[in-house]
Amino acid sequence: MSDFDNDFAAEGDDSMMEEAGGSYEATPGHPPKGRRADYDDEEEEEEEEEEEEEEEEVSGRGRKRAKHRHKRSFANEFLDIEAEVTDEEEEDEEDDDFGGPDGFIEAPQEGDEDDLQHRSRNALLDRKRDQDFDDGDLERIAEDLSKRYSNNRAIRYSGDMNDIPQRLLMPSVNDANLWQVRVKPGKERDIVLSLLRKSIDLEYTANPLNILSAFQRDSLPGMIYVEARSAQQVNKACTGLVGVYPSRGIHLVPIEEMASLLQIKKQDLTVTPGSWVRIKRGKYQGDLAQVMDITENGEDVGLKFIPRIDLNPRDENSLDGRKRKKPGIVGAPNMRPPQRFFNYEEVIKVYTRKAVAKRNQVYVFQNETYKDGFLEKDFKLSALSLDDVNPTLDEITRFTRGQDGTENESNVDLSIIAEASRKAAIAVLQPGDHVEVFEGEQAGMHGVVEEVSQDVVTISAVGVDIDGQRIDLPARSVRKRFKPGDHVKVMTGKNADETGLVVSVTENVVTFLSDLSLQEVSVFSKDLREAAEVGSGTNIVGDYELHDLVQLDQQTVGVIFKTERDSFRVVDQNGQVRLVQPHQISMRRDSGRSFAIDSQGHELRINDNVKEVDGEGRKGRVLHIHQSQFAFLHNREINENGGVFVARCRSLASVAPKGNLIKPGTDLSKMNPAMAMPAGGMVGSGSMGRGPRDRSIGSLVVVVKGIYKGYAGTIKGTNGSAARVELQTGNKIITIEKEKLKRRNPDGSLVDLDERRPPQNGFGGGGGGGGGGGGGGYGRMAPPSSTSRTPNPYASGGGRTPGWGASSGRTPNPYASSEGKTPAWNASSRTPNPYADGGKTPAWNASSRTPNPHAQDGGRTPAWNANSGRTPNPYTSASGSGSTHGSSGVWDTGGWGSNGGASPVRTNWDSGDWGSTPMGAPTPATAPTPGPGHGYGGSAPTPAAGYSGATPMSAPTPFAYNAMTNLTSAPTPAPSGMHDDVELGEDWLLEIPDQYQTRVNVKVKGTTMGERFYEGSLEDLEGIVTQVMRSSDLTQTASVHFKSRPSGIPSIVNIPIKYLTPIHPTRVSEHVYCFDGPQKGKVVVVRAAPENTTAVVSSVDLIGGFFEIDTDMLVVLTPVDDP
Amino acid sequence: MFFIKELTHTILLHPSYFGPRMLNFLETKLYSDVEGTCSGSFGYIIAVVSILDIGKGMVLSGSGQAEFITRYRAIVFKPFKGEVVDGVVNNVNKMGFFADVGPLTVFVSHQLIHPDMKFDPTSNPPSFASDEQIIEKNTRVRLKIVGTRVDATEIFAIGTIKEDHLGVID
Repeated sequence: MSDFDNDFAAEGDDSMMEEAGGSYEATPGHPPKGRRADYDDEEEEEEEEEEEEEEEEVSGRGRKRAKHRHKRSFANEFLDIEAEVTDEEEEDEEDDDFGGPDGFIEAPQEGDEDDLQHRSRNALLDRKRDQDFDDGDLERIAEDLSKRYSNNRAIRYSGDMNDIPQRLLMPSVNDANLWQVRVKPGKERDIVLSLLRKSIDLEYTANPLNILSAFQRDSLPGMIYVEARSAQQVNKACTGLVGVYPSRGIHLVPIEEMASLLQIKKQDLTVTPGSWVRIKRGKYQGDLAQVMDITENGEDVGLKFIPRIDLNPRDENSLDGRKRKKPGIVGAPNMRPPQRFFNYEEVIKVYTRKAVAKRNQVYVFQNETYKDGFLEKDFKLSALSLDDVNPTLDEITRFTRGQDGTENESNVDLSIIAEASRKAAIAVLQPGDHVEVFEGEQAGMHGVVEEVSQDVVTISAVGVDIDGQRIDLPARSVRKRFKPGDHVKVMTGKNADETGLVVSVTENVVTFLSDLSLQEVSVFSKDLREAAEVGSGTNIVGDYELHDLVQLDQQTVGVIFKTERDSFRVVDQNGQVRLVQPHQISMRRDSGRSFAIDSQGHELRINDNVKEVDGEGRKGRVLHIHQSQFAFLHNREINENGGVFVARCRSLASVAPKGNLIKPGTDLSKMNPAMAMPAGGMVGSGSMGRGPRDRSIGSLVVVVKGIYKGYAGTIKGTNGSAARVELQTGNKIITIEKEKLKRRNPDGSLVDLDERRPPQNGFGGGGGGGGGGGGGGYGRMAPPSSTSRTPNPYASGGGRTPGWGASSGRTPNPYASSEGKTPAWNASSRTPNPYADGGKTPAWNASSRTPNPHAQDGGRTPAWNANSGRTPNPYTSASGSGSTHGSSGVWDTGGWGSNGGASPVRTNWDSGDWGSTPMGAPTPATAPTPGPGHGYGGSAPTPAAGYSGATPMSAPTPFAYNAMTNLTSAPTPAPSGMHDDVELGEDWLLEIPDQYQTRVNVKVKGTTMGERFYEGSLEDLEGIVTQVMRSSDLTQTASVHFKSRPSGIPSIVNIPIKYLTPIHPTRVSEHVYCFDGPQKGKVVVVRAAPENTTAVVSSVDLIGGFFEIDTDMLVVLTPVDDP
Repeated sequence: MFFIKELTHTILLHPSYFGPRMLNFLETKLYSDVEGTCSGSFGYIIAVVSILDIGKGMVLSGSGQAEFITRYRAIVFKPFKGEVVDGVVNNVNKMGFFADVGPLTVFVSHQLIHPDMKFDPTSNPPSFASDEQIIEKNTRVRLKIVGTRVDATEIFAIGTIKEDHLGVID
């Protein structure tokens, strides 16, 4: 019988444990019938086994082993004996026995039939053994047994479960497994209950459920856990139950996870009567409520809070006091009535007397109970948020103030809030804070926080005999300490950023006198820090500062007298106080130079000390003067509106401060007639001091971000980073950040606001205008190269680049509409425009969008980038000299500005004769057709090929070519003539990044002609560049080291780089620099011997594949380690 | 606390004053410039005691003005925490009262006034009053400074009279 008890005790414990955790377990209270019938037998068996064990020491172990196994697999299913056994030796043996893989591992997989067979076989064996034992000394056995069990019992019922090592209670491989079964989410509990009922129902039938227990966890929706020996048994138990999905798999829970599934995290209920909670949902969402009582099961909480009664009900139903049909719809969330204490009179006025019943001190209205103005209602715990309640002082005062509105501050139980916010207080402790200990052993001590690690703070104590000791304390038992006189700053909350001097400290509420308003403010000490700085920063919100004069609307201006977290209080010129957000302010006014006439006809200026001659006779210092009529005065001694008030200038008189009497004698600058003179001139010209009008005013802009994206409008005014934009649609003025705006040029392109505006006068204005255009074009070209995100003028087609726009000032959109047939083009070159191709074709688009060389190299190589970035670029001179080359230059500048699409022109230019032949340009390239483009291309199959196979673009247009040559200014007189060496320009060396330059192998060429550099003695020498000298106006030179040289030649010679030509690779594994192609700008290695002027290259580390490239585009570099 | 301190001040003089009475100008200008001002570091400059060195005027190129770096000795007043000072009540309100201690304004919060003294809103002028004493405008009080806020150009202090020997001076 004792076993029986044991078993129940164990089970009882289990189930208690599980239920306490909120999970539900259906433990089939009794084992199924078959087993129950065996109970007596089992008991006997047990006895026998115990008996045996004693003898076992003597007899062989084999038999025992067998028996143990049998015992396990049979009895263990519902008996938890092992856990209780304290016999160390047996434990060990069991480990021995069952640690092995034999037998029971298969057991779970066995079907029911097998199981039964197995069991009956065991039963047979048992019986046989029983018979054996009949012969033994039964009395002795019985005695032993009773002794043993009485021992066991003593242990068992000691009630001290701690004595049993935890590990023995943990499930082992011998125990039944836990299976996870997927179920319909939300139905877990029901399904477990169904399983329980089913189990009870089938308990005594022929096919009992062979599951041991089932449970679910609230934290794991959609699954239940069933304890059973095999998945099949689980499956069987689950069949026929609705909402169970055995098809989704019955998963075995690993043994080590079984325990954690049943682990219960102890939840301590933080809800205690009197504490504060917030309501999570419904009409009262977010409202603060006070806990009145808690039901025993801990699920329902009686709350008291301020009701929100709709005193303007819209529908009749609620008037009748009937329940609203669909509160969700009727009481739309945006119609949430304000918090108001229940007032019987008011309510019956609206809802009639019938609707409200009165019982004792309690009113019942719409099935809800109101007491003392509060609504008292039960809520589910789950509908409340208990953490981070952070009730504000306001809310609490409101609560305690009660319905009558009388303020009884004594009621404010700050300790409650303090308690609630104590948790938060821990987070705000920082090293260096001065804290005091207010609870625990060290209460009363104070010190400075040394370090904070989670919940423990280390403080170094301050005091007589403990000075300097370091003490660890729980963070919750310390609070920040302030003394009267400390200068503090509020870190969080409504008063954030306010600074002031502490006047008193009570517990953890600190009262300080605000620096700005001279009002007393009470805050929790946790929200405070000692402040070094004074009030600075506290009175600036956005661009506006305390005491700024701001324009509120057309007619109204006001002075900010209080800054709050993100709003201002402003007193306007009529003395009205307004609460405004920064965005409601259209601009700040500067009245620094304005003045007015006071009552005595004297001049009144900012910062004068004045007094009202009528009215209240207030004194004050003039902050601002508005329209020479209103003066905003400030006087700290006036508490109203932060000391700011408005007066009419005519009713003010100077109080003649001490300085004023001497002033005429001492203000030298005023006395001096010479210096005083300009003052008169200032009259009426108030705007003079304001600086230039924002240039962007009046421009046509498009909003590119935000909710107004896509809208177009005109800038009406600006204010710092914001602009007021009058939209073209809707006739509406919005205020929007400037960064969200782009200027729309007449040709439709968008540019950043702060970029230079396109010149309004086209080149029709003459050379100067043209030059300006060029400059403009150039100026704008920089951004696209530097940032890929700006609306790249190229992306939108050459026709719309600023340069073009500029050059064609008269035609609003030349290329879009006329494809290059603008007068400018026609007039100047009469070509059927190569630019039409270049400018309008997908070429540009492609180049800007495809992974083209430009993109790859990050703007290092592309012609214009390089130019604008590194070289003494032609553009500079172009824009600078725009005026000089006069009418003929106009076209040029357009060309330059646009992108140097007209390379030939540039060629001319660089070679120095652009002044004379600007462009009328018999230049071969511009020439009559785009043809020349192909001509160049001839060197490589086409520029496209030479360029990059990847970009479809550059192809037949001259552009591709230009891109490569633009730096060159073509050493060859006629680019169209020679194409072999043309690809690399004179300045090719400069194109190579610095780190490679000193490795470049060069050959001297061209010294035999013309100036005969070194008398031509260097011609054809090969060397390595050691240094490249750059200069903006002198000849570009490089130092070249010649390894083998004729005698008389120094080893290092400075040579103008125009005489240097690259040495092209001829051998395998030479390091080369690519001027072009997909590897452009990189150093690669020749992988196959160059033949037919093409080399196969790949990157040094073999990443990225092989490329075929024209050797002309390669220059040999000396390997790094080879000096 | 008062100190005598040597300070310097830079005066720019317009050329039109270069002449016989220039030194007079400079002195007057110095007095009017510095007396009554407040610097955060030194406190209020009460009065210039003596001019040590009016400085050699250096004509600035460009403007023609002469720059004099003047050294002078002045009485300065700087309040310290813990200092006991006498003042005259200037303004009384619900929160406490403001007292003028020379150029310095000290605020005494009602929390730092002895609880016996209650604010009497009905009185005219408003006052804090106990059975024996009354604090109203122009009452002379002795107070202790408990905290100062020092701006660049202004010093503000709060004080207490909630200690022995502080309060109304007869």
